[in-house]
Amino acid sequence: MVKANTGEADRVKESLAALDGVVEAHVVAGDVDFVAKTVADDPGDVKRVATNAIQTINGVEGTQTYIAMD
Amino acid sequence: MRFVIVGAGRVGLRTARVLREEGHEVVLVEGHDDQATRVRDAGFDCVEGDGSREELLVEAGVENADALGALTGDLNTNFAACLIANHHDCRTVMRIDEDYREGIYQKYADEVDEIVYPERLGAIGAKNALLGGNLQAIADVAEHLQVVLFTITDDSPMKGYNLSEVTLPSQARVLAFGKAGGPMGVPLPDDSLETGDRIAVLADFDVLGDVRQLLLGRSAEETAAAAVEG
Repeated sequence: MVKANTGEADRVKESLAALDGVVEAHVVAGDVDFVAKTVADDPGDVKRVATNAIQTINGVEGTQTYIAMD
Repeated sequence: MRFVIVGAGRVGLRTARVLREEGHEVVLVEGHDDQATRVRDAGFDCVEGDGSREELLVEAGVENADALGALTGDLNTNFAACLIANHHDCRTVMRIDEDYREGIYQKYADEVDEIVYPERLGAIGAKNALLGGNLQAIADVAEHLQVVLFTITDDSPMKGYNLSEVTLPSQARVLAFGKAGGPMGVPLPDDSLETGDRIAVLADFDVLGDVRQLLLGRSAEETAAAAVEG
């Protein structure tokens, strides 16, 4: 879940989709602005994508990470 | 007309009051029971529960409503209510909570006909109060385009001229004109500008200062600054 502080939804979405490890990115309605789906081999990889990569995109304010159980 | 308002907080209830005063039928949907009681005490029909559920919106009359206003503070509730209302061929208006989201919802939320950001409207009101008297911002039509109502004063440079003699900058148009104390109407070339007359102008922000100077003259501060410079 990615919260932004910019109206440039297309640019942020494309930046998300272009990241290594991100397989899907969507603009969503609600309290957050984007959902990015990540496939990772281990928790360290998730951290690398969520913290190091996504947070550095200009206009991203914060992220929340959920791990799928099925 | 018939309206459904989802959310009876400060924005929703106030909107309902304005609509009722103008003779429209309004039903509110509110999730908090104490607030719902207040709504009923104020004489409104109120359906109690989650405004993002279709059966509640149907109970509130969405199937026969002309428009639905999703005016809670919760974006998920607002968007869901608009989706359901759109399915019932209802015009939809959605409240958002942060200004950067305005463009995103305008572009992506096809089911939402109009976005409202209450703080922006509040800011226009506050700006008018701060500017005072002779200039009133009516609406931000686009990012760089605003409708402004000017009231002609004794000091207006165009006082005594006809509308046909008023040469506005190219990025500005006269939209409406009203004599002092009279209603606003379609501007006519031979309308003359006298003290107290009102003139509504659509103008790009870049030329708004020029339009103001033409219709109102220099402000006191500008005159003082010019005197210092001179």
